[in-house]
Amino acid sequence: MSGALVRMGAIVRKEFRHLGRDPRMLLAVVITPVIQLLLFAYAISFDVENVPTIVIDLDRTPTSRSYLEKYEASPFFEVVEHGSTLADVDDAFDHNTARVAVVISAGFARTLDGGGQAQVAVLVDGSEPTAAKVAQTYSVALNQLYTQQLTRAWADAQGLDLSSLGMLEPRVRTWYNPERRSSDFLIPGLMVVIIAIVTVQQTAVTLVRERDLGTQEQLEVSPMRRIELMVGKLLPWTLIAFLDVVMITLLGRALFGIPLRGQPVALALGAALFVFASLGMGLLISAIAPSMDTANIIALLIAFLPSFLLSGFAFDLAQVPIVLQWLAYAFPAQYMVTISRAVFLKGAGVADLWPEFAALAAYAAVMLGISSLLYGRRSSR
Amino acid sequence: MPALPTTPAPPPGADAIRARGLRRTFGDTVAVDGLDLDVPTGAVFGLLGPDGAGKSTLIRMLATVLAPTAGEATVFGHSVVTERDAVTPRIGYMSQRFSMYPDLSVAENMEFFATIRGVGRADRRTRARQLLEGMGLDEFTTRQAQFLSGGMKQKLMLATTLMHRPDLLLLDEPTTGVDPVSRREFWRILAGLHADGRTVLVATPYMDEAERCTHIAFLDGGRIRQHGTPDEIKAKVPGRLLEVTAADPRAAMAVVDGVAGVTSAHLLGDVVRVLWDGAGDPAPTLASALAAAGVRDVGVRPVAPDMETVFAYLADPSTRAADAEPEVAAS
Repeated sequence: MSGALVRMGAIVRKEFRHLGRDPRMLLAVVITPVIQLLLFAYAISFDVENVPTIVIDLDRTPTSRSYLEKYEASPFFEVVEHGSTLADVDDAFDHNTARVAVVISAGFARTLDGGGQAQVAVLVDGSEPTAAKVAQTYSVALNQLYTQQLTRAWADAQGLDLSSLGMLEPRVRTWYNPERRSSDFLIPGLMVVIIAIVTVQQTAVTLVRERDLGTQEQLEVSPMRRIELMVGKLLPWTLIAFLDVVMITLLGRALFGIPLRGQPVALALGAALFVFASLGMGLLISAIAPSMDTANIIALLIAFLPSFLLSGFAFDLAQVPIVLQWLAYAFPAQYMVTISRAVFLKGAGVADLWPEFAALAAYAAVMLGISSLLYGRRSSR
Repeated sequence: MPALPTTPAPPPGADAIRARGLRRTFGDTVAVDGLDLDVPTGAVFGLLGPDGAGKSTLIRMLATVLAPTAGEATVFGHSVVTERDAVTPRIGYMSQRFSMYPDLSVAENMEFFATIRGVGRADRRTRARQLLEGMGLDEFTTRQAQFLSGGMKQKLMLATTLMHRPDLLLLDEPTTGVDPVSRREFWRILAGLHADGRTVLVATPYMDEAERCTHIAFLDGGRIRQHGTPDEIKAKVPGRLLEVTAADPRAAMAVVDGVAGVTSAHLLGDVVRVLWDGAGDPAPTLASALAAAGVRDVGVRPVAPDMETVFAYLADPSTRAADAEPEVAAS
């Protein structure tokens, strides 16, 4: 056993030496995550505020004006134009001067006064889906608020005390990320993408490299077992992946004030399971890929793209086609994105996230199992 | 007359390598074709043959990194298939291509491979120093392997292979692509190992290196065509060897080939190597035949047979056919 430890230690030391001698690899695993973090957090923003809005008041009554004031006051809408006809909406959308149009039809005040249901048309430019969705949600909320106010005014006029009846006042709130800052949302997801790249890509290449160099044969004539080689190869990348996790967490806190509300242990456990699942994928690629180039391409296809596109990191999984949703279940990234966001933002613990933890653990076990079977089969013989 | 290769039955365990009916195919290609081989302990056994003869495949099977398709082979009495763990600690295997980490230094490479081979820490240091000094690499211990010259790379591989003191060295063309000075030095090191009692199996495409071996085997088409000591091999070539120089060597060769008593004529550089198995003194006979044919500037002198010529003779299908019929060769 001590012989095995010595041999694994030798592999680990050697792997770190390779890393130290290869500036590009060092760059890829340490500097690139930082750059990606800054890029995503600063440059790519899903924040929705000051959505340019055109209002068209065809009613021109004090009631309609007071309704529109709600839009003026909201930080989410910025009323950039007061139009007079519906044609102005097309114009504004075409020229990208506005993304939301609020149209109050004539008779708005009269309908409300008569106790009827007044209709307000809220038109949303769908070419920017995120902003559109938020704008839609907010105008619905504003309408509700306004309706409540009207109800209360009506009740006051009737001499009724609604609050004593226990009627609840609706408040619109976004939980977990009250300011809806996209960095809060992105960075926990970005962490997952970065782990996937570091682990899958590097593991996929590292074993193929031994074959390409011809050193594989020298390892085979040593008393070293395949499992020792695997552990020795995986350990450095596990450590580096964790280094990246810590780095992203600390930078996220220091630069962007990302809260870590949950237990760090839960995050660490999730990261560990995800790392093992990813390493398993990397090993699998290494066992079957005939060359370094093939290994790189496969790693890109099964690690980077799914963790980027099918994890909920960039796109809400509920909004992608059903086939892609199924596909997303086949990759571990989406479970880790869920865990990461829940721990960071919701303060969730292991108990809350057990289905995701179980999925990752199962994934890791299956991947490592298959890859060690495949790798254990002496491919060169 | 050349007895067909038969080895006297060795006492059990006396052979470092013993292979019977060893065969390896890659798809439809037969690389090693039912080969028998006995390498006595302590021998420097040269494995000669052209590219594609099956030398590397044979060595890789003996090194346990390639499984035979059929047949069996033992190293120090242990099967290379079922007893790998008993075989690998006693062998050192040097593959044909450079197989060290290019980005690690000489010292780091040696230390890594020695560590996984189970050489202790203190032993590693003293042994690496000794080996590197012995090979003149001690100035380059901190140099990355990728920046070594071809000869130095081969010496580094050999030094690394020797770290765990293997009893049997399997060297696959260690001197291919190495300059003549480094080649000579490499063989000086092998001679030292031989003096130490180590067994060496070395593949080489260079015929001149065969002279330095205690035993040689000529491999072609996946089979051993000839084997024995260098003297035994040379004795298989009947007659005397002469060198013919002329203004036009090709014309000279054509003339000489037709002279009665000449078994074979080969062009080697710009001299014609002639094998004479006839009666009488060959030199005047050849000189007069060449003069009669109008070849100018003729010189004929007897030379001692070397391996190059011996194998050229033995590999020649026409002479090999003669070899198979003793009465023809003996006449």
